[in-house]
Amino acid sequence: MNLGKKDEDSDAGLFFHIDKSTVLQEARAFNETPINPRKCRLILTKIVYLLYQSEVFHTQEATETFFSITKLFQSQDTPLRQMVYLLIKELSTVAEDVIMVTSSLMRDMNAKSDVIYRANAIRALAKITDSSMLQAIERFIKQAIVDKNPSVSSAALVSSLHLFGANKDVVRRWANEVQESINSKGPITQYHALGLMYQIRQHDRMAVIKLVQNYSRGSLRSPLAYCMLIRYACKIMEDEEPGSRSLYDLLEGWLRHKHDMVVYEAARAICDLRDVTSKELFPAVSALQLMLVNHKPTLRFAAIRTLSKLAMTHPAAVFPCNLDMENLITDPNRSIATFAITTLLKTGNEASVDRLMKQITGFMNEISDEFKIIVIDAIRSLCLKFPAKQSLMLNFLSNVLRDEGGYEYKRAIVDAILDIIYHIPESKEFALSHLCEFIEDCEFNKLAVRILHLLGREGPKTSKPSKYIRYIYNRVILENATVRAAAVSALARFAVHLPELRDRVKVLLTRCLDDNEDEVRDRAVMYLRIIDDEDLCKRYIADETTYSWPSLERKLVEYVNDEAAHSSAFDISTTPVITAAQERAERARVATAAAELAVPTLRSTQGGPTPSAPSSTPAARGAVPSAAGDAQAGYAAAMEKIPELAGLGSLFKSSKPVELTESETEYVVSCVKHVFSEHLVFQFDCRNTLNDSLLENVNVVMKLETSEDDDATALVQDKAIPIQRLIYDIPGTAYVVYSRPGGVCPTATFSNALRFIVKDCDPSTGEPDSEEGYEDEYLLEDLDLVTADYMLPSYIVDFKRTWEELGEATEVTETYALTNVASIKAAVQNLLQLLGMHPCDGSDMVKDKATTHTLLLSGVYVGGTKVVCRCRMVLGDDGVTLEVTARSPDQDVGRRVVDAVC
Amino acid sequence: MGFWTAFLTTLGIVRRRVSILILGLDNSGKTTIIAHFIRASSVPAAPSPTSPPPIVPTVGFSLEKFDYENLNFTVFDMSGQGRYRELWKHYYDDTDGLVWVLDAGDKERMAVVREELWSVLSHKALQQKKIPIVFFANKMDLEGSLTPQECIAALGLEEIRDRNWNIVASSAVNGEGLNRGLEWLAGQLKER
Repeated sequence: MNLGKKDEDSDAGLFFHIDKSTVLQEARAFNETPINPRKCRLILTKIVYLLYQSEVFHTQEATETFFSITKLFQSQDTPLRQMVYLLIKELSTVAEDVIMVTSSLMRDMNAKSDVIYRANAIRALAKITDSSMLQAIERFIKQAIVDKNPSVSSAALVSSLHLFGANKDVVRRWANEVQESINSKGPITQYHALGLMYQIRQHDRMAVIKLVQNYSRGSLRSPLAYCMLIRYACKIMEDEEPGSRSLYDLLEGWLRHKHDMVVYEAARAICDLRDVTSKELFPAVSALQLMLVNHKPTLRFAAIRTLSKLAMTHPAAVFPCNLDMENLITDPNRSIATFAITTLLKTGNEASVDRLMKQITGFMNEISDEFKIIVIDAIRSLCLKFPAKQSLMLNFLSNVLRDEGGYEYKRAIVDAILDIIYHIPESKEFALSHLCEFIEDCEFNKLAVRILHLLGREGPKTSKPSKYIRYIYNRVILENATVRAAAVSALARFAVHLPELRDRVKVLLTRCLDDNEDEVRDRAVMYLRIIDDEDLCKRYIADETTYSWPSLERKLVEYVNDEAAHSSAFDISTTPVITAAQERAERARVATAAAELAVPTLRSTQGGPTPSAPSSTPAARGAVPSAAGDAQAGYAAAMEKIPELAGLGSLFKSSKPVELTESETEYVVSCVKHVFSEHLVFQFDCRNTLNDSLLENVNVVMKLETSEDDDATALVQDKAIPIQRLIYDIPGTAYVVYSRPGGVCPTATFSNALRFIVKDCDPSTGEPDSEEGYEDEYLLEDLDLVTADYMLPSYIVDFKRTWEELGEATEVTETYALTNVASIKAAVQNLLQLLGMHPCDGSDMVKDKATTHTLLLSGVYVGGTKVVCRCRMVLGDDGVTLEVTARSPDQDVGRRVVDAVC
Repeated sequence: MGFWTAFLTTLGIVRRRVSILILGLDNSGKTTIIAHFIRASSVPAAPSPTSPPPIVPTVGFSLEKFDYENLNFTVFDMSGQGRYRELWKHYYDDTDGLVWVLDAGDKERMAVVREELWSVLSHKALQQKKIPIVFFANKMDLEGSLTPQECIAALGLEEIRDRNWNIVASSAVNGEGLNRGLEWLAGQLKER
């Protein structure tokens, strides 16, 4: 036997080869008399080991084991008894009738002598007891809470915390005892007592404020308890009106506490305050600055991490710490150093960048990929902040790109470079040449393909496009099929955009026809075929539009699931078309959302949990908050689940939510209008903001109020789906369905009211006080059904051509004088909102002082009719004069669009 | 048991351990009887200033130990409440003797007692072991209680022919008859 083998054996030791059935066999020793404590302890340990290894114990096995364990109460051996408690706790969820040991545990917890296991007994008791038994043990727990032994009273308090969840009323009766134990001597007891007290008082705001103020005066000994107080104080301020800081002075006072923990917690709390001002931040940052030079690495880490987060939102406030942070770059703890660097990158000024970059270069080799990605992200944002430094940054990035590293790391670098190219056009050629070098020796297909695509898009626009062709063609010779195919596509783009190179590229593409991979050959054939045809090129290569992927997917799923629709082909015209730029923005939004999700997990591996930080990447700033296609897919999925709404067919358009109440009222209601082929669905999202009432059977009563449209009379209310129970702060949704026979699409105004049964309830539990409720009604604001609700914005490539194709015959024109509009910009915004169409050719961008403007719009009307619209505006002395011209195959639709403006 | 321990046991220096099970319906006086023996066996110290803790219904079971007649008794005091009677069976295996307490004043529930008793006696584990049983006809201090003879008739005890049993009139609150019963049980256990 060699040494290594021996090591392995001793590692697992006793527990190397144990299995459940043998151990259960051994457990018979529990029934022997007299009991051998040593032996039994060992067997118990084995059972616990098995349980912790996720071995499954069936109910019967567990129950039998449990009952034989109960016999061990005969022995007075303390370690054995503690082991028994451990097993009882573990088995309490699996075995039946665990309540059997209640009396035995109660005896132990009330044992007179100072036995060590009294606390353990309490914890085990809390675990096995159920609500029905709690009354019986209540007296003993109350006694234990005020026990003079801190471990006993802590155990009782923590157990009470666990019991609180299911037995709020019982535990609430112990408030006096809890109060007493806050004032006890044991620091840990104070901490636990404070936690329980807060749970009990949680819903009483005034009581919590009193709690915080009472104990802030230094009567507590436990630093942990102070940290809790700080958190409660923050919670109180969060619920306050924005801007009011009733407890800020307390937080500020805690910055001078003798325990570092309290100081840090207070400083962090101040940094996290909503809308914090630099004056409020100053003392907190000073406190953190002191910690940066502390000899304890944990403190340094905590401080730098908080500062790093603060630097995202308030770089100026962190600026005074720069000197101390620079010293931390050489800190032996690499996590601290990484945070120091990234923070400095955020707070630094243009002058210090050079020096920092030099330090980072040396430092990069010493940290793991995970941290490297953080650094790369920081550099990316820095580069966008100081565009003048881009060559320095790009040099750095291309250097690290050549170093060893995993895919995630390399991708972060490539992303950073792509971002820089996108935002700083002058860096383009320099960056492209770096990327060209990188793909010469790139082990990641995905990155190579992305870079080739980028070269195809950006290469032709550079001053010397021909030099990229060599790099690209090298890939065709040297790489695998995936990359070769991407390279072929990139080559084709050069041929299309640069007529002078076309013949030479054609030669290269012709060579690709002999490739042994289908995809590569096919692409080459296709491009060779279309290169010389201007129209085809426009359609296949230069086309920058794409379909909105989420809605295309939804439509396809709908089509596949609907047997009846299979007789006709899939109609793609109802899918919204978006530009490449929109697609990019959408993707950036998804990416940042994912990044925000990922950030806390990454952070939490380094320290305590932190709320997700606002990302400072430019992508986040430029991103659209939410894409309509996404939201619509969500609504459609939700309605699909409701049987009454499932049969309505495919959803054409969902409007943005319209607020029907002020945000501060008793009930907050917003409405989303959905247009189906033969129906209208109004979705009312309701929220009850009164914590002492419970609403049942909440109906929305809609009445058609006024309409200038004759079609409105055709609307018939079909059904209304009420909310069964609307509990405090849990949103509910009611629906009202109108049918619109023959697909009429009138504009109209509806009056709305909520009708419901109110029951008073207990604010903390949400249980109604009585079964009897009373009926009530709550008036909502009126809801307008407008033309925009029937209109799907849709992008078209060439507005002019579509405009001409539709011709003057279908034209509808109207002129309006908008007297209450002050500027062209406001008029454009109004029009976009009124018509719900997509602005073309960037015509929604208006110069600030423009006096004339033409807005071009396109969209798809319900039923799939295409509409294009031209709005010419002139700013005069008395407002804006507007001429709206709409062209559509269906003149009626054009008329509706034009009428919608008035 | 080794030779040395056996020797010491005969001399009465080491006490033999026996474990007994005490059963019966709820509120028949099991815990009170145990409390009596514990008080009797502990060294009579100075009378404690605090009164003994009040007897509350046992939840599950409780384990007590006391010495009596040179025997070290380990007693499983089982709860008599309905939901726990099902669980008695887990403790039949390693018991040397059975104590059954019945509330002689509770005539209404004699039928329940009878049913429970016979289901216990017919349990497999107790069929194999012919352990002795002592019945305490408890609460004799109350007026109108059944006499032991009436209890025998009510429970059909004469049908127990395969094991030794005895019935003793007792009153747990004033300790009457308790010693007589346990003495008999101790004698039975020593013989084995």
